Amino acid sequence: MTRPALAGIVLVVGLLLLADLLVVNDTLGDVASVVVAGVVLVAAGAALAAAAALAIRRGADLWRRRGDPVGAALVLLGMGAVLVAGLRPGATGAGDPAVGWLVAALLVPLGATVFGLLFVSTLAAMWRSLDRRPPQAVLTGLAAAAVVVLLLPIGGAPGAWLASAAGWTLAVPIGAALRGLLIGVAILAAVAAARTLFGIGGDDA
Amino acid sequence: MPDPAEALGEVVRFVGGILSSSTLRFETGPTLVLLGVLLVFLQLVARPISRWSSADAAGLGGVGRAMALAAESGTDAVVSLGSAGLARATDALARLQTLAALPVLAHVARASARAGVPLRVLTADAFSAAVAASTLEAAHASTATPERVGRSRIVVTGDGRTVSAGLVMTARAHPAAAFALGSLREEAALHLDGLRGGAGALVAGTAEPSQVPTLIASGATGVLVGAEPFQVAADLRSDIAQRTTVLAGNRLLWLAVAVILVGSALALAGVVDIRGFLVGTGAE
Repeated sequence: MTRPALAGIVLVVGLLLLADLLVVNDTLGDVASVVVAGVVLVAAGAALAAAAALAIRRGADLWRRRGDPVGAALVLLGMGAVLVAGLRPGATGAGDPAVGWLVAALLVPLGATVFGLLFVSTLAAMWRSLDRRPPQAVLTGLAAAAVVVLLLPIGGAPGAWLASAAGWTLAVPIGAALRGLLIGVAILAAVAAARTLFGIGGDDA
Repeated sequence: MPDPAEALGEVVRFVGGILSSSTLRFETGPTLVLLGVLLVFLQLVARPISRWSSADAAGLGGVGRAMALAAESGTDAVVSLGSAGLARATDALARLQTLAALPVLAHVARASARAGVPLRVLTADAFSAAVAASTLEAAHASTATPERVGRSRIVVTGDGRTVSAGLVMTARAHPAAAFALGSLREEAALHLDGLRGGAGALVAGTAEPSQVPTLIASGATGVLVGAEPFQVAADLRSDIAQRTTVLAGNRLLWLAVAVILVGSALALAGVVDIRGFLVGTGAE
């Protein structure tokens, strides 16, 4: 398909979805729903094709003993386990208890274990940054240290003062910085989205 | 053969029927803001841009040197497009960052194509992988090196931020340079740590406000935070669409600053409190 044709499709679909976002109208909503349903179908087909390609690729790796055979075996084993649990006779698909068990007993603990490394990796990153002493890293380290001091579990009047200071820090300087960032990101994201809706793009992809 | 005037009348009646049976989904204020963004953007698109001051954000202008080092040492370079992809079940802002990272991928791909350095692109789903492959091919076509495109690889890390971070951390390859641009959230520290551990140089960028300290502490040689990932492409190549995006964004930012300052002054003077409108909660 030629580039002007693609840009035309993006423009028409983009304007349709934008109009449906702004205006409540049954006819417009029906047309927009058909377009969205088509996109969802294409996405689902692509996802299935990608999963099949992954299985074939890993199967070939295992068969020809190339790349990472252990990783390939684990990927195929995982895919097979979920498929068997969800598609076996009498199973209820993605909502089957066996699939739920695989997710709750294997995937969630594995994910939590990976995120458990964040404690060590964050401390190590901060240590490395302070060692190199760039101004922004020093400022970040000082701010983090100040917040840690403010959050110390101390009782009595000093504890109450620290707690109120922590609340003020969160509401005023940190809140202002985060809101400033959010406003900037939101505006640039809105403009980039408008560009996408109208099919105005560079010649890179 | 229908009468043209009658056909035109039918079209006008059809459009009129749609308009008469429609209502605004949002209040007047948000609708005007949304249309204002589009108006400012289109006004800038229609107007030729005569002045532009380039900057070397995050040192991406020096990517050629990193590629020369990679060619000399016989290693590759890595570009990670974040953990959001284009079709994953995550919010639109995260997925939009994947699109915003594509011009940077194109910039790195052109440098790697010229230097003959293989590129490894990490993506989170099949859609971003397809778009990344298209970007790589375009880069090789523009540098007249189509025979080298087969040496680069697109890696789909899989669904989920944990999976993406885990794959980066366990990769055995040591690239000469790594670039991570896109949505990075709770996994940002692990993702960047994995890339930095093997790479000679690291450039990291994300528009997630909560991850600014993570990027600063990541040890990256170049960092893009806040709105910068959306703006950086305008400095890499004289692309009128990219520069228009930045100019429109800057104009709207000044407008937002003016609204906040005027609104604050009016609220302090006791004239009118527009806080509810500004934060989107209605009049209080």
